[in-house]
Amino acid sequence: MDLYKFKYTFKQRLNFVFGLIIFIFLVLLIKFFYLQIIQFDLYSSLSTSNRIKIIPIPAIRGQILDRNGEILAANKLIYTLEINPEMKLDLNKIKNQLSDIVEITKYDIKKYNKAFKESHYSSTLPIKTNLSTVEVAKFVANNYKYPNIILKHKFSRSYPKAKSGAHFIGYINRINKKDIKKLKKSNNYKSYMGLDHIGQTGIEFFYENKLHGFPGYKKIEVDANNKVIRTIETVEPTHGKDIILNIDYKIQKVAEKAFGSYKGAMVAMNPKNGAVIAYVSQPTFNPNLFTNGIDEINWKRLNSSIHKPLLDRVVSGLYPPGSTIKPFVALAALENNVRNPPFSIQDQGFFIMPNSSKIFKDWKKGGHGEVDIIKAIAVSCDTFFYGLGIELGIPKLNNMLRKFGFGDKTNIDIPNEKKGLIASPKWKANKYKKKWYQGETAITAIGQGYTQTTPIQLAVATTKLINPNNIIQPHLLQKNKLPEYIKKELKNIKEDKNLSLVKEGMSLVTKEGGTAAFIGRTADYNVSAKTGTAQVFGLKEGQVYNEATLPDRLKDHALFIAYAPSENPELVIAIVVENGGHGGSTAGPIAKKVFDAYINGTN
Amino acid sequence: MFKLTIYKLFENIDNILMTLIVFLITIGFITLISAAQQNIPLLGNQIINILIGIILLIFLSHIDPRRFIFYAPHLYIFSLFLLLAVNFIGLESHGAKRWISILSFNFQPAEIVKITIPLMLAWLYHRFQNSISYKTHLIAFILLSIPCSMIWYQPDLGTAILIGLSGLIIIFLSGLSLKFIITSIFSLLILSPYLWSTLHLYQQNRILSLIDPTKDPLGTGYHSIQSIIAIGSGGFLGKGWSYGSQTQLNFLPETTTDFIFSVFGEEFGFIGTFGIFIIYFLILYRCIDMAKKMQNTFSRLTTAALVFSLFSSSIINIAMVCGILPIVGAPLPFISYGGTSMVVSLIMIGIIMSLHSHKSLIAN
Repeated sequence: MDLYKFKYTFKQRLNFVFGLIIFIFLVLLIKFFYLQIIQFDLYSSLSTSNRIKIIPIPAIRGQILDRNGEILAANKLIYTLEINPEMKLDLNKIKNQLSDIVEITKYDIKKYNKAFKESHYSSTLPIKTNLSTVEVAKFVANNYKYPNIILKHKFSRSYPKAKSGAHFIGYINRINKKDIKKLKKSNNYKSYMGLDHIGQTGIEFFYENKLHGFPGYKKIEVDANNKVIRTIETVEPTHGKDIILNIDYKIQKVAEKAFGSYKGAMVAMNPKNGAVIAYVSQPTFNPNLFTNGIDEINWKRLNSSIHKPLLDRVVSGLYPPGSTIKPFVALAALENNVRNPPFSIQDQGFFIMPNSSKIFKDWKKGGHGEVDIIKAIAVSCDTFFYGLGIELGIPKLNNMLRKFGFGDKTNIDIPNEKKGLIASPKWKANKYKKKWYQGETAITAIGQGYTQTTPIQLAVATTKLINPNNIIQPHLLQKNKLPEYIKKELKNIKEDKNLSLVKEGMSLVTKEGGTAAFIGRTADYNVSAKTGTAQVFGLKEGQVYNEATLPDRLKDHALFIAYAPSENPELVIAIVVENGGHGGSTAGPIAKKVFDAYINGTN
Repeated sequence: MFKLTIYKLFENIDNILMTLIVFLITIGFITLISAAQQNIPLLGNQIINILIGIILLIFLSHIDPRRFIFYAPHLYIFSLFLLLAVNFIGLESHGAKRWISILSFNFQPAEIVKITIPLMLAWLYHRFQNSISYKTHLIAFILLSIPCSMIWYQPDLGTAILIGLSGLIIIFLSGLSLKFIITSIFSLLILSPYLWSTLHLYQQNRILSLIDPTKDPLGTGYHSIQSIIAIGSGGFLGKGWSYGSQTQLNFLPETTTDFIFSVFGEEFGFIGTFGIFIIYFLILYRCIDMAKKMQNTFSRLTTAALVFSLFSSSIINIAMVCGILPIVGAPLPFISYGGTSMVVSLIMIGIIMSLHSHKSLIAN
C-alpha cells in the first residue's frame, strides 16, 4: 500500500468514525430527550416517592364505658417486639437471638405469619406481644445486639371484665383480607391506614365508626438509608370517641351471678326509654383472646362447643315463647271480643278439640277449676288458651303478635339480630308444603308451636304492654337518638280496658296462686310477670315428662318476662334459661335478684 | 520579559481546544461540588488532579514529537511491566486487582495503557508505512491483545473494552480490508458464548440487569434505575444546582465518579445535557480537524486513537447512566472525580497539542 492511498483511506475512514460518533451522540441525545422531557412526569413522581414517605399515626380507639363510668373496654399500653417483613428475616434465627430475653413460641411465629399474610399496609409486624417490664428492660439493655428488631409501645384493646358482658361489648380482631374488601367497598379503607384492628361483634362492631377514629400521618423526607431528613407535614389523628352505654355494670354483675352455671339469656331494660340496663348471654367467652388473633386451640374450643359460647343468645337465640306469649294472645282475644269477662270455663285439666277427639292437656293435672281470662294468665291455664286460640283463629292472633314486634328485628344496636318467626298457614305451606292443622293454632296460643322469639323481642313486647303509645327502641348506647335507618313504626296498641285486664292477670302471677307467687312473698314492691316453659324435647305419645330423669340438654327451657314496680314500671326483664325446667322456678329468682338490685339497690 | 515567558509557555497550546477543555472541566467541577456533598478534601484533591494534569499537558505540548516516536516501544513495554506488577503487588478491592501503589501514589496501570497502546500501534504503522500488509495488522492485533487480555483478567472489563476499541480503531484507520472486518465480526458473534463464560458473575449480572433493570430493583439493577430516575426527574430545566434530591439524599450511588453525569442531568436538566453535548461536538470537530491536518502517519493515527479513546469513554459513561449500556464502571473524562482519569485525559490532550504544534517538524 502506498502512502498516498494510505492517507486517502485514513481520511475516508476518519470521516466515517467522526460520523459514527456524531450518530451515537444523537442517539444519546434522543434518549435524554425521552427521559427528561417525554417521561419527566413518571420519573419526577418516582423521585418524589423515593424521598417522601408517609407514616400513619394511628388513632386511639375509643373506650367503652357503662353508665357509671365503669370501663368495659380499655386501651392498655403494651410493648411488642416487631420486625420489618420486607427484610425477609429468618424467624428461627430471631427466635434464637431472643432466647435470652423472651421465648418466641411456635404460636407466636404462626401469628406472625398470619399477620404477614393479611397485613394491609407496609409496616412492622409483631413477633412477640405483651412483653413484661423485665423483658423490656433486658431488651433495651441489649438493644445493640438486635439491629433488626424494633421495640414498640402501642395501645392494645383490653377487656377488664373478661368474660363478663362479652356478648354485648364484643371483641376486635386484626384486620383480615375480608375486612379490607368490605372497607374498600364502603370507601372506608383510607381511615384504616395505620390501624391493625377492627370491631367484629357487639358494640365494638356496631359503633366501629365512632370508636376507631381517623388516623393522622406524618409526611417525612428520607434519604436512601431511610434516615429521616425532615418532617414535611404532620396531621394529627382524630382519636376514636368513647362509647357510654346504658348498661349498669353493677346490675349486669348481679344478673350474671344469678345465672350461675345456667345457659341462656337475659335482657333488662328501662321501659320508659328502651335503655338496656343488663344484657346477659351465657355461657360466655373471654374477648381478650381475640385481640391479637385467637389461637387455634381456643378457637376450636369456643367454636365447636355444643354450648355455643360465641352465640349472642339475647339477639340471636331463637326460642319458642312458651306461656310468655299468653298475655299477648289474651289481648288479641279481648280486642276481638273473644273470651271477654265475665266469660269463664271449668278447667278439668284438658281440652278436647271441637269436631275431633284430639285431647290437649293442661300443664296441671286435674286443671285449675273455674278460670276467667285474668286467672288464665295468672295460673297460666293452657286449657283456657287452647279454646281461645281456636276461636280467635291464627290470623288475628298473629296480627297482635306483630303489633308487639314479634317476627321482626327490634333494631337494637347489636349486630346479627334474628327476626324470629311468626308461624302461619302460609309460612308452613311454603316451608313444609303441608296444611295447617287447627291443633297447631291451639298450641301456638300457648307458645309451643313453630313460633320463635328472641329474648330481646320478649323484652320489647313486654315494654309495649306498659308503654303502648310510644315506639320503644332498645339501645345500649346512652343517647336516645335512634339511628336514621329505623323508620319502621310499630302499630300502636290501644291503652284500654282490655290492656288493663291483661296487666291485672300479669300482676296476679306473683301473687298467691300465681305461677311465680314466691316473688310476691319476698318482694317489697309489686311485680307483674309471666312465666313460660318451652319444650326442647317432643314427648312421644304416652311418654311422661319427668324432669328428674331427663338429661339436662333435653330439659325444657324456662322463660320469664316481668316488669316492676307494677304501678310505675322502672325495669322490664326477659329471661330464657335453657334447660331450666319450669319458668317460675329457675328464671323467676334471677329476675327477682335483678329487680332487687335495680329497685332497692341491694345486691 | 515575563510576558514573553508566559507566551512561550502557551505557544504550543491550541487555543480553541484548550478553551473547550477548560470549559468542560469547569462545568465538571461545579457539578462535583454538588455531588461531593460537603466533602471538601475530595474537592481539594480534584483541584490538585486538575493542576497536575494541566501542568503535564503544557509540558507535553513542548515535547518534540520525534521523542514520542522514539519512546513509544519503551513506554509500551513499561506499561506491560506495570500490568504484570499489578498481579503481584496490586491492591485488591471488590474481587479485582487494578491498582498499584508506588511511593504512596495510587494509580491504575490500565489507564496508562490507554496512552501507550495508541503510541505503540501508531509507531508500528508509521515504521512500516510503506509496506502495510496483513502481517502488519496481525502484529498490531497481537500487540493490542497482550495488554487487553491482562486487563480483562484483572478483571476490568470496561477498561479492556475501551483500550481494545482504541487499538482496533487504529487498525481500522490504517486500512484493514472491509472484507476481513466483516468476517471478524461474524466470528466474534460465534465466539460470544465462550466470552460470556469468562465473565465474572457480577459482570454477567450487570449485563443481564440492563436487559430488564426492573427485575431486581434493590440488586444489580438498582443503581441503573436510580440513575435513570435522577436524569428523568431533572426534566427540562433541572432541579437546580445542589437541589437534586436523588443526589443529595444518596439514592444515586457513586455520585462523584461513575454517576456524575446523572447528577448533572438531575440538576441541570435537558438544557444542561444538550449544552454538554454541544461542547463534546465542538471538541470532537476540532480534534478530527487537527488529525486531518497532521502530516505524518504517526501523528494522524495517535491523534485519532486518543480522541477516539476519550470519546468512547464519554459515550460508554453516558450510555451507562441513561440505561443504554450496563453499569461497567467507566469514569467520564474531564468531569468525574479521580486522579488517574483526569491526569490521563489531560496527558492525551497534551500529546495531541504537541503533535499539532510541531506538525511541520515531522512531515513526511
